[in-house]
Amino acid sequence: MLLIACPYCGERAETEFSYGGEAGIARPKDPHALSDEQWADYLFMRKNSRGMHRELWNHAQGCRRWFEVERDTVSYVIKECYEIATPATSRDNQSRAD
Amino acid sequence: MTDFSRVDLGHINLRGSAEDSRFVDGATKVLGQSLPLAANTLTQSLHRIYWLGPDEWQVVTESDRAADLVRQLEAALAGQHVAINDLSGGQVALQLTGTDVPELLARACTLDLHPSLFGVGDCAQSGLAKTNVLLGCIGETPVYEIIVRRSYSEYLLRWLRQKTHSRAGSVSS
Repeated sequence: MLLIACPYCGERAETEFSYGGEAGIARPKDPHALSDEQWADYLFMRKNSRGMHRELWNHAQGCRRWFEVERDTVSYVIKECYEIATPATSRDNQSRAD
Repeated sequence: MTDFSRVDLGHINLRGSAEDSRFVDGATKVLGQSLPLAANTLTQSLHRIYWLGPDEWQVVTESDRAADLVRQLEAALAGQHVAINDLSGGQVALQLTGTDVPELLARACTLDLHPSLFGVGDCAQSGLAKTNVLLGCIGETPVYEIIVRRSYSEYLLRWLRQKTHSRAGSVSS
C-alpha cells in the first residue's frame, strides 16, 4: 500500500484517497472555438507516461481536498505531494522535461 | 475493558478562511474558544472543535445549544464568505473509553493510534471498518470520540458490539 502525504493532513494510507488522473490539464478557455478533434484531445487523451507522472489525488476519507502527486509509474515511488494551487508553470517545465 | 456509548450532541460544520482574521475573530468570539488552526488537532473547553481541513471545522456541543450557536454564528459572520451548517440531525457521536481502544480500532483503521502519536487533543478523519469517521482523542483515560454519519452509526455500533462481545451502546443517552 502507498503512503501518500496529503499536503493538509500528512501521511495517510492509500485507501483514504481516490485517484483523479493526470494533473495539469487546463480546460480550454473557449471550448466552442475548438474542433471536435481538439476537444476530444482535451477530454480523453492522456500521456500515460512511463516514469514520473504528475497526477491528481483526492483525500476522500480525510479533508476531501484535491492535491497533486508526482509519482513514478514504474516504481510507484512518490517524489512529491503538493497543493493544487502551487503555480503550475514552474512545476510544468520541471516535470515535462523529464 | 472497552466501554462505549452513543452520545446525544449538537454538531455544527463551520467553513471559512483561517487566514481571514475577521472570520477567525468573529467565530472565536461567538464560540468562546479558539479554532484549532493546526492540522489534526482539536480544542476543548465550552465546546469541542475539530480541525477538518484548512478552512473547515466541526463544532460539537450540547444538543440544545447547537441551534442557538448557529444563529449567533450566522449573525456574527453575516456578509462574509463562510458556511455554517447544523449537522446535528445527520451525525452521531460515539464515545469509547479504555486502554485497549487503540488496539480495537486498529483492527479496522489505518491510523497509528499509539498513545505517543495520537494523544489527547489529536484528531483525524479516516476510515474505520469501511465507514468514514472523524476520530478524536478527548480524554486521558483514554477517551475517544467517533463522529459518523447517522446512517452508518447502527452498522458501526454493531461492529463495535461484535468486536467487544458486548451489548453496550444500544441506548442513546
